[in-house]
Parts: sequence; C-alpha cells; structure tokens
Amino acid sequence: MNFFKTARAVALAALLGTGAHAVSTNEASAKTADGKWLIYLSLSYSGNSWQSEAANIVKALAATPPFSDTVELVEVISGTDPQAQISDYESMIAKGADGIVSFPISSTALNRVVKRACDAGVLMFMYDATVTEQCAYNISYITSGFGENTAQALVNALKGKGKIFLSRGVPGNSVDDRHTNGAMHIFNQYPGIEVVAEYYSYWDDRTTQQETAKALASHPDVDGIWAQAGEFGAIQALQQANPDRLVPITGENSNGFRLALANPDYQKIGIDGVSAGSPPAQSGFAFKIMMEILNGKRDALPEGQRNIEYPLPWVPGAAVKLCEGDAFENGCNAFPEGKVPSSFVTEVFNPELLPELSLASALEGKPTPGAEIQPLPADAVKAAPNEPGINCRKCDAPADLYHLTKVEATVKP
Amino acid sequence: MASIEITSPHRPRTLPSLRQIAESAFPIIAIYFLMWVVYGLVEPSALSLYSIEALFNNSLPLMLAAAGATFVILQGGFDLSVAGVISLANVVVAVMPMEGPLGGVANLAMVVAIGLLVGAVNGFVVAYLRIQAIAATLATMIMCKGAALLILKAPGGFVSDFMAYELTASFFGIVPIAGVIAVAIMLFWAVFRSTNTGRSLIAVGQDENAAALSGIDVARTRFTSFLWAGAFYGAAGYMLAAQTSTGNPNGGDPFLLLSFAAVALGGTAFGGGRGGVTASLFGAATLMLMQKVLFAVGVSSFYTGVVQGAIMILAVLFSAFVLAVTRQRKSR
Amino acid sequence: MMQENEIMSDATMDIEDKRSSARISGEFVTVVMIFGLTIAMILASRAISPAFGSWSQAETILYLGSFLVFCAFGQGLVILVRGLDLSIASVITLGGVLTASLMNGSNEGLFYLVPAILGACVLVGTISGIGVAYFRIPPFIMTMAVGLIVYSLCLGFTQGTPRGYPAPFLSGFMQAKFLSIPAPIYLLLVFVIIGTVLQSYSAFGRKLNAVGNNPLAAYIAGLPSGLLIVSAYAVSALCAGFTGMMLAGYANGATLRMGDSYLLPSIAAVVVGGSSILGGQGNFVGTVGGALLLTTLATILTALGFEQGWKTIMEGGVILIALIALRDESFAFLREQFRKRG
Repeated sequence: MNFFKTARAVALAALLGTGAHAVSTNEASAKTADGKWLIYLSLSYSGNSWQSEAANIVKALAATPPFSDTVELVEVISGTDPQAQISDYESMIAKGADGIVSFPISSTALNRVVKRACDAGVLMFMYDATVTEQCAYNISYITSGFGENTAQALVNALKGKGKIFLSRGVPGNSVDDRHTNGAMHIFNQYPGIEVVAEYYSYWDDRTTQQETAKALASHPDVDGIWAQAGEFGAIQALQQANPDRLVPITGENSNGFRLALANPDYQKIGIDGVSAGSPPAQSGFAFKIMMEILNGKRDALPEGQRNIEYPLPWVPGAAVKLCEGDAFENGCNAFPEGKVPSSFVTEVFNPELLPELSLASALEGKPTPGAEIQPLPADAVKAAPNEPGINCRKCDAPADLYHLTKVEATVKP
Repeated sequence: MASIEITSPHRPRTLPSLRQIAESAFPIIAIYFLMWVVYGLVEPSALSLYSIEALFNNSLPLMLAAAGATFVILQGGFDLSVAGVISLANVVVAVMPMEGPLGGVANLAMVVAIGLLVGAVNGFVVAYLRIQAIAATLATMIMCKGAALLILKAPGGFVSDFMAYELTASFFGIVPIAGVIAVAIMLFWAVFRSTNTGRSLIAVGQDENAAALSGIDVARTRFTSFLWAGAFYGAAGYMLAAQTSTGNPNGGDPFLLLSFAAVALGGTAFGGGRGGVTASLFGAATLMLMQKVLFAVGVSSFYTGVVQGAIMILAVLFSAFVLAVTRQRKSR
Repeated sequence: MMQENEIMSDATMDIEDKRSSARISGEFVTVVMIFGLTIAMILASRAISPAFGSWSQAETILYLGSFLVFCAFGQGLVILVRGLDLSIASVITLGGVLTASLMNGSNEGLFYLVPAILGACVLVGTISGIGVAYFRIPPFIMTMAVGLIVYSLCLGFTQGTPRGYPAPFLSGFMQAKFLSIPAPIYLLLVFVIIGTVLQSYSAFGRKLNAVGNNPLAAYIAGLPSGLLIVSAYAVSALCAGFTGMMLAGYANGATLRMGDSYLLPSIAAVVVGGSSILGGQGNFVGTVGGALLLTTLATILTALGFEQGWKTIMEGGVILIALIALRDESFAFLREQFRKRG
C-alpha cells in the first residue's frame, strides 16, 4: 500500500518534472495518490474569531500557487478535549500525513502522540499554543514577553500608582500562567500598584465584559486594567458602568480595542494603553516554514532547537493607523469600523513573513488573487528561549526571562 | 423520562442469568461492533495492533469514569463530581510520581483514597442529609477543581515511566493492558451484581420504598454507591495521567458530559433500576470509537457535531428498538 | 422514586395532596430564606469593599443575574416535568448569533426578525421535546445531542467568526436607564411576574406540575402529557434564545461560547431555589432567588484577593452550605412556628 503510494508519487513527480523536490530532501516523501503533500490542519475550537482566522490563513496559503498544486490540506476540528485531539493525531499518522500544523489543546497531554508522529516521519508544527515535546516545532509568541511588557506599559501609564484589575484567560492553562507570571513580576516591583480584582475571562469578549462588570461593582474607582484576549469587553463594561470615564488598559489585538485606543473621544476621558499579544499570523508562519522544509528549501532544525519565536505585535494607542485597503500596507494596523467585527483579531498580516494574505484570506480562507507564495526572508526564524512547562519539560529558563523588550520603565519602582 | 407505560411486575429476584446480562448490554455491544466493521472497512489500518492499543488506551479513562457514574445512576442518583475528582486525581499523580510497579500501586491507592473521600462526602450529603444529588455533587465538583488548581497551577508534572509506558503497553505485545482492565471490570461487575450490595443497588433504584420494606438500608446503599463511583473516578484520573503522562488541573472537564453520555448510550436508565456497568463501558468505548470513525469517513470539520449528535440519538433509538423486539419475542 | 409515583393508588394520592399543601409553606420559607441569604451576603460583603452593600452593587447583580434568570426559567419548567435541558448553552449561542447576523446593525425588520429568531429556537426545543416525549429518548442524551448539533450548525453558519451587530434598538435598550435604573431590570421584573403566573397560577403550569408529579395519574386524568412535555422544552429553548438575544444586545455582538457559562448555573439556580430534580415541585420565585444568590456569590468572589484555587473551593463550599441550610429538614422548626401563627 505504502510502497504503491510512494512509487506512484515518485513516478508522477518525475513525469511532471518536479522530481527535484523528492531528491533534494531527506524528509518524508510519501505523498497522496495525486502527488500532493498530505497536510492536516488540526484545530481546537474555543469558538472565538482568533481560531477561525488562524485556520483561514493556513487555508488561504494552501490555496495560493504553487501550494495549490502541491498541497492537499485537510482541516480537522477536535473541539476542546485533548483526548479527541490525541485520537485525531493518531488517525492522521495512520493516514500517512506528511505534516500536521496544529493548535494544540494541551501543552503536555499530547506529547506522547506527538513523539510518535515524529518517529513516523510526520512534521509536527504547533502554532500559538505549544507542546513540551522537543521533536515538535513550536511557533509561538508566548515567549516574547506579552505579560511583562504590557504590565510595564500599564504601570507607565498609571505613573506607578493605582488600583488595577487582572482580566486573565483560562484557569489552569499554561499560557495564562506564563502571561500572568510575567505581569506580576513587574507589578510586584511597584508597591503603589494594587491588584484589587483578578478574574478569568476565558479569552472571550462577552465573558470579559461580564466579569469586568462584576469587578466594577466592588471597585468602581479602578485606575487601570491589564487584560488578556477579550479586552474589548472590558472597555464595554467600563462604558456601561460610567460613560464618562475610561481608564488605561492593555490588552491583545482585537480591532475594536485598537479603534478604541485611537478614538480621540475615548482618549479625552482617559483611555490609554497598548495592543499586543497573540497574532493569528503565527499559523501561516508555521505552515510556511513547514512547507519549506518539506520542499527541501530549508534544513530541518535539530531536535531541542525547534522552538521558534514569533515577534510580539506592539501597537500603543498613538501608533494605531487605519488601513485603507484589505491588507497591512504602509504601516497600517487596524481596519475601519464596519469592515470587520470588533472581535476580529487584527494581527493576521505580516508584510515580511506573509505578504500573500489579504482580508479575504483571514475572513474566508480565500487566496489573494494573483498572489504567489514568497520564500521566507533568510533571518525569519528566530529561536525562542526555553521555558519549562511551555516549550520544554526538563529545562531551565534563562535568568533574564522577564526582561523588557518593547517598553522601558518610565517610572522608578 | 419515567415511562408512562405500566411495566411488568418485578421478576422474582434470583441470580441474574447470563442471558439477562447479555440482554441489558446487548444493543450497545452490537452498535460497538457495528462501528468497528464500518471503521475497519473505511480504514484498513485501523486493525493494526498499534491502532487498537492506542484506541484502548485513549478510551480507558472515559470507560472508568462511566463505570463509576453507573453505580450512582443505578440507584437513582446523579454525580457531577466526576469532572472534579478526575482532575484532582490526575494532578496528584503528576506531582507525586513514584517509580516502579510498587510506586504505581501506591499512586493508585492515593487517588482511589481521594475518590473514596470525595465519594464519602457526596454520599453523606446526599444519602443522610438528603440534599439533591445533582446540586450537592455540583458543589463538590467545583471544590475538587479548586483543589486541583491549588496543587497544580498549569498543566505539567511528571508521571513515572512505569505508568506512562508499562501500563499503556500490551501483554506479550498483543493484548492491550487497557483492554484487560476493561474486561476485568466487566467480570467484576458480573460478580458484583449478584452480591447483596449489588442487588440492593438495583433494588433501591427500582423502587425505594419496596427496597426499604424488604429490609434494605436505603441510605447506606446510596452512600456506598458514591464510594464506588469516587474510587472509579480516581482510577480514571490515574489512567488519564498514564495515557497523557502529565497532570492537568482541567483534565477532568471533558469527562463531565461525556461520561453521562456513555452511561445513557449503554442504556442505563436515568432514575435508576435498570442497566449496568458493562453496558456503560461499551457506551464509553463507542463514543471514543465514534471519533475515529468520523475522522475515517471524513465528515466536514465544521459539522462534525451534527453527525456526533445524530449518532447519539440513533444509537439510543436502536437500543430501545432492540429491547422492544427481544421483549416481544419473550412474551410469545 | 419515579416508580413510587407510578404505582401510587388513589389513597396514596390523597396523602400526596396533604403533603403538597404542607410543601407550599415549605416552599415559601425556602424563598424567604434564599432572598434573606442573598441580601445578607450583599450586606456582609461591605467588609470586603466599601463599594459593596450599595444600591449600585445590587443593580449590577440584578442586571447580570437577569440573563441567568431568563434561561433558568425554561430550565425550571423542563425540570418540573422530570427532564433536564443540556442544550441551553447552544441555544443561547444560537439566539445570539442569529441576532447579530440577521439584524446586522439595523432596526429594520425588527418586528419580524425577533419572532423569527425566537421561532428558530422554539423549533430546536420542540425537536428535543418530541424526542423525549414521543421517542422516549432520555432527556439527558436528547438535549445533549441536540445541543451538539445546534452548536455545530452555529459554527458552520458563522464559519467560526460570528459577524454583525444587533439592532441599535436592542443594544440601546440594554444601555438605557429609566428613572436612573437600568431598563433591563424592569424587564426582569416583568419576566419574573409573567414566569411566576405561568408556572404556579396558570392552567398550563398546573398541568405541567401534574405531569411532573405523577405522569401516570396525569395520563389517566386525560392530560396530553406528550404535548405538555414538548411545550416545556419549547419554552425552555424560547427562554434560552431570548437570553442569547439579550446577551447580544448587552455586548453588541455575539460569540460562539457566549452560552457556555449558563448551563450548570441554570440547573444550580433551579435546584438551589427549592425545585426537585425529580419533577413536580418548585416555583419560579425560588429559582430567581437561586440565580441571584449565585450571581452575588460570583460578584463577591471576584473582589476577593485569594488564589483562584481557594476562590473556587469557596464557591463550591458556599453552594454546599446553602443547600444544607435550605433543605426541608432545616425548616421543620421554622415551619412549625409558621403554622402555629397561621
């Protein structure tokens, strides 16, 4: 069966004159019967726009020439149960996948099956969330310091003094834990900063809004909010409680939040902050690295060095710039109201790494007309630092784990 | 739903015949093997030893959870603490790994003890304080989840090599240990059913007053059912740790609804008195197999849930149909 | 227990009647106790934050609690007929997603879109009800499966990204204040009155009670049990859809997991409020009390500076204590006093 598949693929490749692919790479060369790479896109579904944008990016890239002729992409949604994703990974291995690009549901529970996939010659690429199994590639912003940088930005905006809320993600989740540890590392240095409420918003706008409203009932005089994804809900809650008062707030990349940061009316009544955090574009970056390795255009990294950092988006209020077209052009980074939902995560584009994408790619998974896959820049891949529990198991974090990269402390502790 | 039909009067209680046991679990066993046929046809690689072993390993935690839930449901109760106990057991094993087979046994003893403790709280509150089971166990579930978070803030920890590799392997390379455990539970149930405790359990579920009149200590029976349930949940968390070789403070969450779905698929009546652990084990195995079949058939990813839901409804209708047919035949 | 009812003879039904009259006063005490507990918690929370114990805190609790009250009413009716509705989360999402995508930020067509959206939800509930009542599928599995299907359809319909905005009228209403009290609180009041009348004082409610109390007797008495059960599920879906619509108005948009946080609380609110999961017992005012108690608890926990693990343990602990404090036996004494005076 497998022999036939391989033989047929090689024959086809030779016929089409694309044998170069097969010859120049030592990686798995098993392809589907029609000579395409069999790639699985394995998703969790927390049900927010982030997930579907990340998936759409991969779908759009896979439909962009020349991938449209060389890649067979199969999307599989595993829900939120790690057991289901384990089962699906197993099925993908059995089907002879060449690569799996995936949002892993758990950082640790999938390790065993991930290892097995690697042993079977399947390229494993995780985006955004990570696994601690070293044979998988983790393409993630998690190590880029979202927590500490946004916390410092908030402290700066508050001049080192004030009552704040922490709007966190999902309890018991490694990403939430990492972000919050980074943030608390900063907040703890400032005795003037008092965390008066801490709640879990499940990275969801609606939940953030309700939880923030509950916290506002006890502390209507809050001075600032440090939020993970769902931040736009926090602004809605503030407005609901008092339309004439906003506070400095840091959060992730929703379009609504960026528009609010840039809104002069809001700035007058107190909004200030920075938009950073998880970019859906990671999925596209992961997919492109994987395809370059499969196609022999890039060498596989040795095990233990497969953690790749995606740069942290960093857009302070003053830097928000509206896009006129359907992509990030001329340094713009947000879309006008009405063009996309407020929960739309803006960081789907990256002019250097993913020039192939447009708004239709992110919203509907369609390729940009006329676009072709461009090779990644030579310096695109940057190693991520080790972080135990995030991207490795038995390892030590660097001593300067929480050093600031995007912002400097403007107030002394 | 309570049936409005007037059912046949209670049969005299003797040892249950093999046929009766087979009858109660028969429809779900049939569905299970039917699914295997479909799966094997669509995906020939499914029949490889590795695939089977992996599938058994993947299914065992849910099977154990469903088995535990069955004890409570049979007597007419309800137990939501399953999600909390599994999470708690899972993180306890991961933060206190003990090497070797003896360590594995010690770990198992720890989590079973935790399960028994939670079960005792549930049982006391439900059976003696007469608080509604669904609400009381919701409260204990929340508390267990809190405790799990205190023990482990984020997924991590380590699981001993014995658990991670030996327990998930196969005897002589061909008989998955997970499968052996499942069969052992079925045998246990076949014996348990005919003990006094087992008979009381079903009698209480069938008719509380009649059971009390015939001298059964209803409160104690209820209490005991929660103990069994807790012990099984603990074991489920243990096997989850073995299978994923890690601890996760949210590890039990997906089991909340799935374990009840497994019990219902097995044909055990909510409200008590009818069904059994064997049927629940097959119900759980069917749910996990369904994930495989759906993948193999290639159902469009967004609409996977539609097919999952439809299969669940159809499976229950099929069970009801089979039961009705066998009953009719018997009466002839 | 169900069997107990099934084989009940006329004589035992008489006894049952007496019990239920005793139960009414028991229910009354439960309701008083729940509201008392809630108010006591609000007052005691002043120790945590000076802003607590104020009217604005009560306002927040009523406002946020109203969503839970809406969907708990439907859940309560289903529980009344010995069922359980696990599709609530998905139907809330359905209501929210349809509201955002169909209204699409315009008031136009509001008068037919609102009934259409709620109608779609009612259809979902009717299907669940038919499965339960006529095909004898256990409510647990029927509503769970229907919930899965509905969620999956929402996922496919939105392709993972819910778009659009609710009508400005709707979001305006959720923001509006009337005599300096948020408009949705008046809506809550009206809803509670209608719900109470429907469940406890209308022919429909009495029939549902009868079916829940003793299906066999109800059947013999000629009540259309099947139809009544279906309508309970339909009303539940209607309420869930309404909740979704209101949530979309509140948040000015929809997300796919907006209903998740209401499933278990809706059951808890009903049971804490004194209804029996075995059916045939309970009233809506108790459920309202249960919902407000849970919302108050969540509000207070948010403001506590403990680690999340401890907060979670406390949440479970308070629910357990409330259940024990509110159980029938705890009232035996109170009820005696009550009777003597009465």
